Amino acid sequence: MTTAKAPAKAQQTNYAGFLAGLAIVVILAFIARWLKIQIYGVSLPLGIPGRALEYPLWAAIVGLILNWILKTANVYDAVKSGFRTELFLKVGLVLLGTTISFRTIVTAAAGAIIQALILVTCVYFFCWWLSGKYGLPDTLRAVMSTAIAICGVSAAIAAAGSVLAKKEEITYITALVIITALPLMVIAPLLAGAMGLPEPIAGAWFGGNVDTTAAVVGAGTMYGKTAQQIASIVKQTQNALIGVVAFLLALYFSVVVEGKKERPSAAVIWQRFPKFVLGFIVASLLFTFGWIAKDPGAAITAMKDWAFCLAFVCMGLELSVGQIKKMGWNPIIVYLIVTVFNTVLALIVAWAIFGWLFPAKL
Amino acid sequence: MNVKINEDWLAVIIAFGLMILAMVGVIAPSWMKF
Repeated sequence: MTTAKAPAKAQQTNYAGFLAGLAIVVILAFIARWLKIQIYGVSLPLGIPGRALEYPLWAAIVGLILNWILKTANVYDAVKSGFRTELFLKVGLVLLGTTISFRTIVTAAAGAIIQALILVTCVYFFCWWLSGKYGLPDTLRAVMSTAIAICGVSAAIAAAGSVLAKKEEITYITALVIITALPLMVIAPLLAGAMGLPEPIAGAWFGGNVDTTAAVVGAGTMYGKTAQQIASIVKQTQNALIGVVAFLLALYFSVVVEGKKERPSAAVIWQRFPKFVLGFIVASLLFTFGWIAKDPGAAITAMKDWAFCLAFVCMGLELSVGQIKKMGWNPIIVYLIVTVFNTVLALIVAWAIFGWLFPAKL
Repeated sequence: MNVKINEDWLAVIIAFGLMILAMVGVIAPSWMKF
């Protein structure tokens, strides 16, 4: 009797922890929204207008503060199952589809595909080469290169599955991704503003250089509506390449590194394809055909902002620096050098493609 | 029975569920104001 009750009790605890975590995220999202409203009309020191500090920043900050409090109080593990960055982000991205015409997606995606192919190839192989020079293990090199070249956390997990990386390598790269993406989410829009980048080019730049999709959307949101839309399209196009890279990595590690004769199936390309992108496209078609009226459209746009806000809160909550200390400095140096390389290259490519080759008009 | 659903599809289901609720007027813009 006792053994049958034990798993049931553990499951109840899991549900309770999940609900408690979810409640924390929702409360923090309300706090972030409240902070945004308080600061919005205020002029801050150094002449920074309050409206420049959009909700992604507040959401990440309150998430980081509670992250520290929960860990200090030793209750973080009990509630962390409610922190669902990727889920909230994907819900927000599908809802974002209802605000973008399909024509814009097609126009921006044409440029985004070229940009993604250039950036993913150059950044991946630069990172692979540099991490080899620093003597990192092949599995870590593959996970890191994919994370920087494609889209941070999900790409790292996909690559880790293909190359059978160690669990600590995934958590390590995940922590590095969030640590660099959070400041980039704030710095990139400031730099874009200082350079006077038009919103489509800025959006394409954020989509190409900020490592995780949540931070890309955050940077775009802080720069403007058009920047948010283009950044999301560019990043989702890049994300769609996860499957292809996961397949090629599995092939390389299986045949070249491990010397096996059997080859991995190309079905992995579909398995790793981010299916929510299909939802984003269908949502955009609904909008394009005029099936979403004004009032429901306003409600959906607001829900999209709530979903993103929940994702940004979770991003702050999920940051973990413990793993970084264990791996030493070499991976951090490689990661930072490649991030700078990615940032500069993405700016040049975004300018060339979205400013000249495929200027996106919204 | 423990049914597992891919997070991508779950996000699509939630998003379209919310969209339908907004389109039939169950969720009003004033409630959701961000």
